[in-house]
Amino acid sequence: MGLDSIIQTILSNLHLAGILALATMGITLIFKTSITTNFAQGMMATVGVFTASLLSNKMGINLYFAIFLGILSSFIIGLLIDVVIIRNAKQINIIGKQMITMGLVIVISALLPIIYGTVPFEFARFFEGNLEFNFLSMDLYITKNGLFIVLLSALILAILFMALKFTKWGLGVRATASNEMVANMMGVNTRLITALSWSIAGALGATGAILMASQTGVVDANMMISVQVNGFMACILGGFSSFYGPIIGAILIPLTKGVIALYNSLWGSVILYSLILLVVLIKPVGLFGKKIAKKV
Amino acid sequence: MENYKEELKDIRKQQVNKVVKNPLFSFVILVVVLAFFQILYMTTDGLISLTLSKALAQTLIYTIVAMGFSLLLGYGGLASLGTAGFIGVGTYVAGNMLKMANMPFIVILLVVVVVAVIMGSVVGFISLRIEGMYLAIITLGLSEILLEMFKTPNPFTNGTSGIRGVPFPTLFNCIQLDRETTFFLILAVLFIMIVITINLINSPTGRALLAMKNSESAAQAMGISLLKYRLLAFILATVYAMIGGALYVSYVRASDPTSWTLSLSLNILAAVIIGGSQSVWGILLGSFVIFGLDLAVLKNIAFFNQYPGSSMIFSGVLIILIIMFYPGGLIKLFNDIKVKLLTLKNSKVGEKNA
Repeated sequence: MGLDSIIQTILSNLHLAGILALATMGITLIFKTSITTNFAQGMMATVGVFTASLLSNKMGINLYFAIFLGILSSFIIGLLIDVVIIRNAKQINIIGKQMITMGLVIVISALLPIIYGTVPFEFARFFEGNLEFNFLSMDLYITKNGLFIVLLSALILAILFMALKFTKWGLGVRATASNEMVANMMGVNTRLITALSWSIAGALGATGAILMASQTGVVDANMMISVQVNGFMACILGGFSSFYGPIIGAILIPLTKGVIALYNSLWGSVILYSLILLVVLIKPVGLFGKKIAKKV
Repeated sequence: MENYKEELKDIRKQQVNKVVKNPLFSFVILVVVLAFFQILYMTTDGLISLTLSKALAQTLIYTIVAMGFSLLLGYGGLASLGTAGFIGVGTYVAGNMLKMANMPFIVILLVVVVVAVIMGSVVGFISLRIEGMYLAIITLGLSEILLEMFKTPNPFTNGTSGIRGVPFPTLFNCIQLDRETTFFLILAVLFIMIVITINLINSPTGRALLAMKNSESAAQAMGISLLKYRLLAFILATVYAMIGGALYVSYVRASDPTSWTLSLSLNILAAVIIGGSQSVWGILLGSFVIFGLDLAVLKNIAFFNQYPGSSMIFSGVLIILIIMFYPGGLIKLFNDIKVKLLTLKNSKVGEKNA
């Protein structure tokens, strides 16, 4: 297999890396502020893309306004989940909170057909056509839509990282992440910070889901399951303790998967997951993780 | 003479008490009632429909799986999302063995258990070495991989169309079962698994698991190896799930990938949480609420039929409510009512005395 086909595969999978990075950022934000792994991340995102496509397909609302409303709906769902459920479940341990989010997956996936109907939606690409170019005498191409996805997700993530570093909100998130009780005593409004994290996670997921739908053209209830699974894998690979680790994991996973699939398409994901587990076996806290000592 | 009679009565009473107070007695009654139910279905014509009998059999199979899951969740304090994948592997292993050579059921069960122990130890060792919360994530990934492998066309799983026409199992190489008698096989396995579970819970292993769930640090300080017991709980859950799979393929006689999705894993989780993860009665109750109700009642209501999958909403809402407000599960409700009634009675007696 030549170098050009490997680079071409990476280019064709680049949009997946962007989408996964958005979802992973949502999972990490929630893990940092609420100390739970959010299994409903994919479902929160699915609500957004369903709303957007229902409004634009069936009701004829302007596509971009519909997308805005879709992202807003996921934002509100995230907010509601925190205010109604997670805020009142502080005393429950990690596993219990995990199971609450699994319950949320059931509730949302049962509500989807009732609210949105069972007919599958379609979604058009934002940009048609390919961008062909020549690099080191290799003929490569990337879909314009894929390039748009990569650039947009990179922009969103860059803004988020800047916000985490330089704004008061970012400082609040980092303070809540390191110790919620102390942060609260120091005057950080941890309730607001946590609620915002959930809603931003919802909005990020919805953006990812809409971008995904624009690339594949399909909208269905199970479209985000693989993103959900890979998002967690990215967090494990990069380590839950930092913000940038999971993102690097999220970029590595789809690209590696694509390259492995070049050689063996049947066992692609098995080999990939085994590699990730091997890394975790050698370095349990992930590639960029730090071990945090637990007080007794 | 009078004295002698009364003494005899007392002794008989004690003997009866000894049997009735045995924790297994209630389960024997349950199994007899369920068996009677099936006999009623076989002998009378149409008093109990085939749908109901099938729903009952499947519910009992999922009860076995849920019992294994409760060892993991209620005693190990861990959640897993790989249950459906493991049941699936169990159905394919057992189904292929039944199809190729109609081996005695006990041999099939043994092979299935060995496969389960191997899979459980490999997956469990990797994910539990880090931290408890990783198990749910890694098993979620595993079940997606397994589903993908079930779906790819190969002679073992036969791709998306799945394996069909599996013959009913034979017992001890001579008794050929049919649909009606396989029900009794399920009942027998269920009873054996209940006995094993109860003994396990009351053994030092069960106590160690419970200690670990209540406080990891305290249990470690008492010399309990977290990894060892968590791994054991996970392997047990896997074994129970695969035995459930073997029974499923023996009764339903088919297995296809659409049955082994995430929603089944979530339903098993729901059954254990809703019923009460620390008592066998709770798990029975939970399985009947989640699977029995869904298979026998909700599937026949037009509204839920119109929107496939929507009948699950109850289990989702119940999971959240029960974890937040009533961690003991529905089975605790009976206990609480009993305690309330007793205190009411006592306070009334107290009033009278005063």
